[in-house]
Amino acid sequence: MDATLPVQMVLGALLGLSVYLPLATGQLSLATPGFYVIGGYVAALLSTGVAALGGGEPSYPLPSLLLEMGLAALLAAAVAVVIGRPVLKLRGIYLAIATIALVEILRVLNLNLPFTGGAVGIFAIPQPFADPWGYLLLSALLLAAVCWLCARLGAMRLGRAQAAVRDDELAAACMGIDTAQVKLTAFVISAVIAALTGVISAHFLNTWNARQGSFDASITTLAFVVFGGSRTWVGPVLGGLVLTALPELLRPVGDLRLIVYGLVILAGPVVFPQGVITPERLQHWARHRPWRRPSPRAGA
Amino acid sequence: MSTLPAPALLRAEGVGCRFGGVRALSNVNLAVGEGEIFGLIGPNGAGKTTLFNVISGLTRASEGRVLWRGGSLEGLGPERISRCGIARTFQNLRLFDNLSVLDNVRVGMHRVAGAPLAGALLASPAFRRRQAEVQDQAMELLELFDLAALAPQRAADLAYGDRRRLEMARALATGPSLLLLDEPAAGMNPAEKDDLCARIARIRERFALTVLIIEHHVPLMMRLCDRLAVLNFGERIALGSPEEVRHDPRVIEAYLGGRPAGQDP
Repeated sequence: MDATLPVQMVLGALLGLSVYLPLATGQLSLATPGFYVIGGYVAALLSTGVAALGGGEPSYPLPSLLLEMGLAALLAAAVAVVIGRPVLKLRGIYLAIATIALVEILRVLNLNLPFTGGAVGIFAIPQPFADPWGYLLLSALLLAAVCWLCARLGAMRLGRAQAAVRDDELAAACMGIDTAQVKLTAFVISAVIAALTGVISAHFLNTWNARQGSFDASITTLAFVVFGGSRTWVGPVLGGLVLTALPELLRPVGDLRLIVYGLVILAGPVVFPQGVITPERLQHWARHRPWRRPSPRAGA
Repeated sequence: MSTLPAPALLRAEGVGCRFGGVRALSNVNLAVGEGEIFGLIGPNGAGKTTLFNVISGLTRASEGRVLWRGGSLEGLGPERISRCGIARTFQNLRLFDNLSVLDNVRVGMHRVAGAPLAGALLASPAFRRRQAEVQDQAMELLELFDLAALAPQRAADLAYGDRRRLEMARALATGPSLLLLDEPAAGMNPAEKDDLCARIARIRERFALTVLIIEHHVPLMMRLCDRLAVLNFGERIALGSPEEVRHDPRVIEAYLGGRPAGQDP
């Protein structure tokens, strides 16, 4: 079995969570593809440019890959801190526009900088794994770690502070919560997740260019969250998995596939205004376990 | 004008606040002593809530300053002021509607609920013990406000009176020395007002609180407050014991529209 599609799906879920974290703090940030591209370029430039990392060997060494991930995370966090301070003072749609601008600035920079390979980008990125299964394992581990973090946030002070800021920022400030710090923390974690995803993605795709982080990507990753639901972390994971798989699964439909894809994205919010997964629905499933019973009855 | 019973905990010195051409406050001076229940009354639009907003850091004073235990609060944001020990409620309730009743109070305990990151991520026994302690404290507060049975409910689903009490519980959760109550009796029936009155007196004893309270219901204020200040058009027109304020001709004229005080307008 070919694991290419599952890898893409898991990477999609990771990007969905990257959009979700600021959103769980009430911040509509569309910067995820920007940090994703930063991560990808860190991986592409280091693995093709620094011989000491072992790019010439038949199999790219795993420690080098982990080093890239560490550096990409640091760089993304640094950029997020510097940009987040001023940008997170904006609210709602203004923040969305500012973060779209950030993604666009990075895209144009990557097209024109002397070392990013122009429109062609960087290719022949060395492979740490012989087949997609290795990538699947690595990305699934990363997804599991991020899911664990999201799940723990619910029990943590930071998670409650995020929810409070999302509900009423002013009241949260009056409770002694440093709202700017909470928003920045979420933004930085989001940036790190996106950058780590970018590193894996660059090796997996074998090539990296500025098109990876475009306005389209901003909207697609946002669609993961809108479709899956933004009130629990399970929603963006499902959204990322499903909406990444859909265009591939629809290939047999031929030219109609993008239309069907569009219809699904459109139908999602119409049928499930809060996304497919909501905390109430999760609770309901946990209580009634519909998958265990042949004919479940509501309220039983 | 009466003298201060104790050294001032909170002092407003010539506080003025302008929004464009509107003068919401001008040259307001008052000092609240430790342990007092201090009332702020005045007609709608007199600047009472604006004064609360200045004290709690939501609005910047255009003139003058607010002193807390002798130090200036100038330029501090609401989170810093909350950490100083000043908590408030809002005239139009601002609960975290999507959070449970329990979590509303736990958010109030933000300052004390911190824990080492590694323990929190790994759900270590120490972290869980600490969280259990925080939860117990939160439940204790909820019990004090007769809300314990509603702990798992979403705050948005509560009845109005419960929401009012939850907001007070949440404010107390921050561990304040000064509690600012903005019209806590709004929309309550006489029995609920009596209950509220007794409750405020009770929590003052229990938490050694100083209370600054805005309320329109004059009889309640006369009964509850040690001293009262009266605002009208942004100016403090009277200050003193309820008895003094009740007989102040400027108050009778401005606030009660010429009628004798003591009657519910």
